Amino acid sequence: MEQEAIAGAVRQQASTRGSKPRIPLPFLRFLYANRSARWSVIILVPILLLTFLAPMLPLQSPLESNIRASMSSPSFSHFFGTDKLGRDIFSRTLAGIKVSLFVGFSVALIALIVGTAVGTVSGFFGKAVDRIIMGIVDIFLAFPSLLLAIGLVAIMGAGTLPVICAIAMADIPRFIRLQRSLVLGLKSRTFIDAARTVQAPQLWLMSRHIVPNTIAPLLVAASIAAANAILIEASLSFLGLGILPPEPSLGNIIKDGQMYLQKAWWISTLPGGVILLIAISLHFLSDGIREALDPRARK
Amino acid sequence: MDIATTAAWKSDKREAVKEPLLQVRDLHTHFFTDSGTVRAVNGVSFNLERGERLAIVGESGSGKSAMAMSLIQLIAYPGKLVSGSVKLDGREMVGMSESELNKLRGGSIGTVFQDPISSLDPVMLIEDQMVKPIRMHLKLGAKEARRHAVNLLERVGIPDAERRISSYPFEMSGGMRQRIMIAMALSCKPKLILADEPTTALDVTIQAQIVELLKNLTETTGSAMMFITHDLGLVARFAQKVAVMYAGKIVEFGTVDEIFDTPSHPYTQSLLMTIPGVSDGQRRRLLQIKGFPPDMKKPVVGCAYKDRCPAASERCRLDPPELAEREGGHLAACWLENGLRSGDGGSIEAMLGEERNEPFASAGSGAANGRDGGREPSAGEAADVVLRITDLRKSFRKASMLPWKKATEIRAVSGISFTLKRGETIGIVGESGCGKSTTARMLLKLEEPTGGRIEMNGNTQIVFQDPYSSFNPKMKIADIIAEPLHVRRIGTREERKERVRELIQKVGLDIAYLDRYPSQLSGGQRQRVGVARALALNPTVVVADEPTSALDVSVRAQIINLLCDLKEELGLSFVFISHDLSTVRHISDTIAVMYLGEIVEYGPAEEIFVHPAHPYTKALIEAVPVPDPKIEAAKKLSLLKGELPSPAHPPSGCAFSSRCPLATPVCTEKKPALQPYLDRREVACHAVS
Repeated sequence: MEQEAIAGAVRQQASTRGSKPRIPLPFLRFLYANRSARWSVIILVPILLLTFLAPMLPLQSPLESNIRASMSSPSFSHFFGTDKLGRDIFSRTLAGIKVSLFVGFSVALIALIVGTAVGTVSGFFGKAVDRIIMGIVDIFLAFPSLLLAIGLVAIMGAGTLPVICAIAMADIPRFIRLQRSLVLGLKSRTFIDAARTVQAPQLWLMSRHIVPNTIAPLLVAASIAAANAILIEASLSFLGLGILPPEPSLGNIIKDGQMYLQKAWWISTLPGGVILLIAISLHFLSDGIREALDPRARK
Repeated sequence: MDIATTAAWKSDKREAVKEPLLQVRDLHTHFFTDSGTVRAVNGVSFNLERGERLAIVGESGSGKSAMAMSLIQLIAYPGKLVSGSVKLDGREMVGMSESELNKLRGGSIGTVFQDPISSLDPVMLIEDQMVKPIRMHLKLGAKEARRHAVNLLERVGIPDAERRISSYPFEMSGGMRQRIMIAMALSCKPKLILADEPTTALDVTIQAQIVELLKNLTETTGSAMMFITHDLGLVARFAQKVAVMYAGKIVEFGTVDEIFDTPSHPYTQSLLMTIPGVSDGQRRRLLQIKGFPPDMKKPVVGCAYKDRCPAASERCRLDPPELAEREGGHLAACWLENGLRSGDGGSIEAMLGEERNEPFASAGSGAANGRDGGREPSAGEAADVVLRITDLRKSFRKASMLPWKKATEIRAVSGISFTLKRGETIGIVGESGCGKSTTARMLLKLEEPTGGRIEMNGNTQIVFQDPYSSFNPKMKIADIIAEPLHVRRIGTREERKERVRELIQKVGLDIAYLDRYPSQLSGGQRQRVGVARALALNPTVVVADEPTSALDVSVRAQIINLLCDLKEELGLSFVFISHDLSTVRHISDTIAVMYLGEIVEYGPAEEIFVHPAHPYTKALIEAVPVPDPKIEAAKKLSLLKGELPSPAHPPSGCAFSSRCPLATPVCTEKKPALQPYLDRREVACHAVS
C-alpha cells in the first residue's frame, strides 16, 4: 500500500515540475514570477551596475571641479549637468548612490539582527524582561524616527558611521516590536510544545523553532527599513547633519543645489528623482518578498 | 440538459406540488488556482424533495462544501461555477443577477456554517444581526421583526431570549451561538436549509441537542435540509437520503437504509468498514482504503476511484461510470452491479482480501493485557505499573485587574488518580473543558501540577491532535523525527540517521519522505511522522491527545491500526484522550470518564460501554451517533439539558448535579466520592452506589 502511495506522490511531484522554464535558484525564480519584484529588479540592477562600474566609465571624477564649466545644463558630456564648482552631477550622483545604498543596507542589517535578537528574548521570556524591554522600546517609538536620528547625530557627530548608527537606533525598536509580536504568536504553537516535551533547551527553541519562522516578515520589514534609511540619510545630509562634504551623498548634492533651484534646476531635481526611484523599487522589492513568502497574498 | 427533461420540467411546473424543491443538473465548479484548475465539483446532479433531509458525505477535498456553496453561488475566489443548472422551485438560479440571488439567500435558502464563532459578527448585537434580514426578506416593521426574532430564539432553545437577544456573540457559548445561527437560518421561513458541518465544532452532548433541534425544526416547518458531514453516525441519526461524494462527483445516492444496508459503490462499502464497530465487542483491524484521492487538477480518465478500488477492471480505466439505478431504486456510479459484493460468494471481505477480519494477535499476551488476565497478584502488578497518578490537581489563577478583588481560581483538574500498567491503554473521555488535555500536559511536564503526584517508570511522549501545527514548517521530516535524539545528545550523527530511518519505517512510511517538508505530506502521513517522533526516545507511555480527530475517516482507521500494532509490538502503554467514544472503545482497555476536572467513572472499557453506571457516562454514550440507522431510529434519546458549567463556578455538591436527570437534593449538598462499583469499576454518584 505504501509503495503505491509513494509512487503516486512521486508522480504528482513529477507532474508539477516540467511545465515552467527551469531557473536554478528559487530566489531568481520568484523574481521572474513576481510582477512587483520584476519591476524593482528592472530599476535596481542598472542603477547598481552604473554605480559600481562608475570608476571604469569615462566620467569626470565626482570630486574634480572645473570652474569654467560651472552650472552647465545637462548635455552629452554631463548627463545631469554640473554644479557651482563645475563638478559633474551624474558622477557625483553615482557616488552618492553608493553611499546611500551602503547606509540603507547597513541600517537594515543592523536593525534586523539587533531587533530580532532583542525581540525574540522579549517575546519568548515575557514577564519582567518583556516589560522592561517594551518600556524602553515605547520611549523610543514616541519620537519620529527623523527627529530621533537628528538627536543622535547631534550627540555622535556627523559622518557615515554615526549616521548609520543613528538611523539604526531609530529603527531597532520597530524591529523589536515586530519580532516580539511574531514570537508571541509562535510561542503557543504545538511544535514548540512538542520540543518542550523532550526538554529542549530554550536556546534551541529560539534558534531552531522560532527565528526560522519569523524570517519572512522580518525580511519584508528590512527592505522597507532600507528604503526609509536612504530617505532619512538624504534628509540628514540635506540638513547638513549627515555625510560631510566634499564626500557626495544624494542628500548633500540636493542641499548644494537648493539655492540655485531657479537658475540650475538640475542640481537638485535629478538626484532627487534617483532617490525616489530607489525608494520606490525597494518598496516593490518588499512587496515581492512578501508575496513570494506568503502564498495567501498571491493572486 | 436535453429537450425531454426541459419538457418534463415545464409540464411539472403546472403541478408544482410534485416537482422536487431543488433540482441540480450537471453542476461544475472549478477553482482557477496558480498551479492549475481544480475541478472541485465535477458534474453533480440530484433532486431534493420538499421537507427532505439529505446528507452529503465525503472526505475532505471531495467537493462537498464547494458543491453546497455553488448552490447559493457564494464560491470563494478563485472558484467559479462553470456550468450546470440549479433550480429552486422551478426557478433557474444559475445566471440570476446578484440582487435576485440575495433575495433567495437568507430568504428561501437559509445557511448554517461549521464555525459558529466566526460566522457571527463579533461587534454586532445578536439583535442587529437578526432583525435586519428579517425586515428585508419578510417586509416586517422593526418591532414585529424583533418579536419574530425573539420567538425564533425561544424556538431554538435559548433561555431568556428577550434579554439574550441584546447581547454580543462573545457572551454566548459555542452551542448557543450555533443555535443563534440556526435561528437566523430559519428566520425567513426558508424552503431549504444548507448546513455545512453544523455540529463539528461542538461537544457531543451539545451536538446531540443541536441535531435533535434541527430534526424537529425541519419536521415542524417543512423545510428541506441539505446537511454536509463526514460523520457517518450523524448521517444515520439525522438523514433520510444520503449522497456520497468522491472526487467532485456523487458516487452513490439513496435512502439512509439503502446506503447503510446495501451499499453498492465500492467507496461507500469500504468507507463503512473503516469505522470502529459499535455493537461488536471483538476488536478487529479496521479497513484501510489504500492510496489517495485523485489529484483534482488533472482530468479524470475513467472512474475516479479506479486506483483505490480492489474490483477495478479495464473498463473502469477508460469509461467513467454514471449514476445508474440499483435494486430498491437507489443510484450508484459503478460498472459493477453490487460493487465489491459482485465477486464470488458476494462477500465484501472476499474482495478486500484477508486484511479485514483478522483479530488482533494479542488476545491475552499474559500480564501485558490486563483485559483478559483478570486481577494479577499485587507483587507482579507493582512491577508492571508504568504510571501512577495520585490525587493530581491543577488550578489556574486569574488575577483580577482590581487589586482588592480576589483572584478567581479555575480548577482544571481536581484530584484524579489512576494507574497504568505496561502494554495497557487507558482512554480518557469527556467534553471540552473537562480537564483531559490539562492532564495530558501535566503528564508531559508541560504544566506543573498544583497538587498530587505523578510517578512514572520510564518516559512519556505525545502524539498531538493537529498534524498540521505540531511540526515546524521550516524543518525537514528527518530533522523533526531526530529532534528528540538531537536535543538529548543521543548517539552520533550517523547513529541518529540510522535510528530515524528505522523509526519512519516502523510507522509505515518510506525513507524517501525524510527529505520532505511537513507541507508536502498528507494529514495521515503527518500523523505517522508524529508517531515516529514520539517513539524516538523509546517511551514507555505514549499520550495520544485526540490523535485522529483532525483526520478523515479512512485515514483515521490507518492511524488507529498503527497505534494498535505498536502497542502489541513494543509493549507500549497509551493514554488515549478523545471525545470520539467509538475510537476510545476500540483501542482502550480501561476508561476514565471525566467531568469538570474529576473522574466520575472508571473501569474496563467494554463493561462501561455496555453497562454505563454514571448518568453522565450514560448520556455521553447515548449522545454519540452510531453509524447504523436502525440503532439510531430505535434510540430514545434522553438528552442532557444545558451546558457544561464554568469550571470557575462549579455547582455545589456533585459537579454534574446541574444537568443530571437523577439529581436529588443530596447531590447538590454532598460531593459523591469515587467508590468501588461491581467488580472492577469505580463510580462517583449518589444514585448508583
